Amino acid sequence: MSVIKYLLDLGAVVMLPIIIFVLGLILGEKPGKAFRSALTIGIGFIGINLVIGLLVNNLGPAAQAMVKNMGVKLNVIDVGWPASSAIAFASKVGAFVIPLGLAINIIMLATRLTKTVNVDFWNYWHFAFTGALVAVATGNLTLGLIAAAINAAIVLKLADWTAKMVQDFYGLPGISLPHGFSAAYVPIAIPLNKLIDKIPYINKIEADPDTINKKFGIFGEPVVLGLILGLILGILAKFDAKTTLNLGMSMAGVMFLMPRMVKILMEGLIPISEAAKSFMQKRFAGKEFYIGLDSAVAVGHPAAISTALILVPITILIAVILPGNNVLPFGDLATIPFMVAMIAPITRGNVFRSVIIGAIVIGVGLLIATNVAPLLTQAATDAAFKFPNGASQISSICDGANPLTWIILKIMYLF
Amino acid sequence: MTRKTIIVACGTGIATSTVVAEKITEACKKENLHVNIIQCKVTEIKGYAENADLIVTTTILKDNFGKKSINALSLITGIGEEKVLEEIISELKK
Repeated sequence: MSVIKYLLDLGAVVMLPIIIFVLGLILGEKPGKAFRSALTIGIGFIGINLVIGLLVNNLGPAAQAMVKNMGVKLNVIDVGWPASSAIAFASKVGAFVIPLGLAINIIMLATRLTKTVNVDFWNYWHFAFTGALVAVATGNLTLGLIAAAINAAIVLKLADWTAKMVQDFYGLPGISLPHGFSAAYVPIAIPLNKLIDKIPYINKIEADPDTINKKFGIFGEPVVLGLILGLILGILAKFDAKTTLNLGMSMAGVMFLMPRMVKILMEGLIPISEAAKSFMQKRFAGKEFYIGLDSAVAVGHPAAISTALILVPITILIAVILPGNNVLPFGDLATIPFMVAMIAPITRGNVFRSVIIGAIVIGVGLLIATNVAPLLTQAATDAAFKFPNGASQISSICDGANPLTWIILKIMYLF
Repeated sequence: MTRKTIIVACGTGIATSTVVAEKITEACKKENLHVNIIQCKVTEIKGYAENADLIVTTTILKDNFGKKSINALSLITGIGEEKVLEEIISELKK
């Protein structure tokens, strides 16, 4: 056990490459290839660390100046899912999440508790994220691992439950979406949609995705969005022109660079996930199983895109006016399509309804994200992500605002 | 010989598209084909489409901007993978 403890205490940049190397060898990779992907993963972490620094160092002072000038207390920076996923994988729970998630999936397949063969190993980070928060909150790694396992099991059930609907709506035969973030909104969206059915007039409204895509297209380009938000924040913070322009450019840079860094992390994970995928397919491929994929395969749908585009300005507005919210939406404004990916099929592509449901879950989500900010900041620090002294707290919409994550966290906190 | 340009897109521009881009790169290496791969989000295709010869996506593509497009979902699921890779390669050899 002391060997494991020593490994875990090495920090993510060293620990994860070692674990990935060993996991690669177990799954039958050649040592050279396993070594290269292990190194790549470590490098991905270093890159993400740099970009988080760029974000927090620039946006932090602006957010604090804005609090002083405007009285709008948005001093928790939304670092976005790329950073959150890295924090999750770099956590002590993250080190075990792929074998753990795989084991849960195999057990549930063997006992016929699920039909979904979840080959989307990348998104196991959502389970690790829940586990990491629980581990930080309780100080107990075992409880963290249990939380991650429960999260994985629930998401598989949600994927099964929505499979038919997703297959019909998105035209993806044989697929289900066991996505920790997208699937979490299903149990909320279904009753809300039924409620809207009962409201006269409102239940007849429909919006045209094409017009919306044309008018709101700019919100689909993260780089431009980053630039504009940076400039606006600079102005609200009453920075001089030079600092404001630099803030705008830095934020455009963060929007561009952060995903690139995560891509490095992904590249390192590909050989592992390919090996695990063929392992799963050999045993469970066939007619009666769904293949569980990333909801990235669904977010190209016009209804999902246009809903997400409208929700970008709405999210910022809610963040400003909602009492009790301290989160400044930024990194995850580009992640909203994933929030609506499984809401859109429930409303049968009705953009108006999806926007209403989306706005409600975002409002609640911002409060949850505010609530978990201290835990997430602690988890990030534990994972060796560096923050300047006295910097703002961090949170994220994905998964900091995830209701399923939060419920599991609160339940585990009772133990 | 001019290099062909492929856009590889998915919902994030990172997740599934990385897997597809890697597989296309590998397949091209085997065939000794030199290509430019642009990896992006579906919402960003518009900005790159003009110079592209082929658009490959893992998600639903509503507007292919007058370019040839191929759905590469099977590279993610692993079912029918060979066929789609062949289709992509033969399109790039044109």
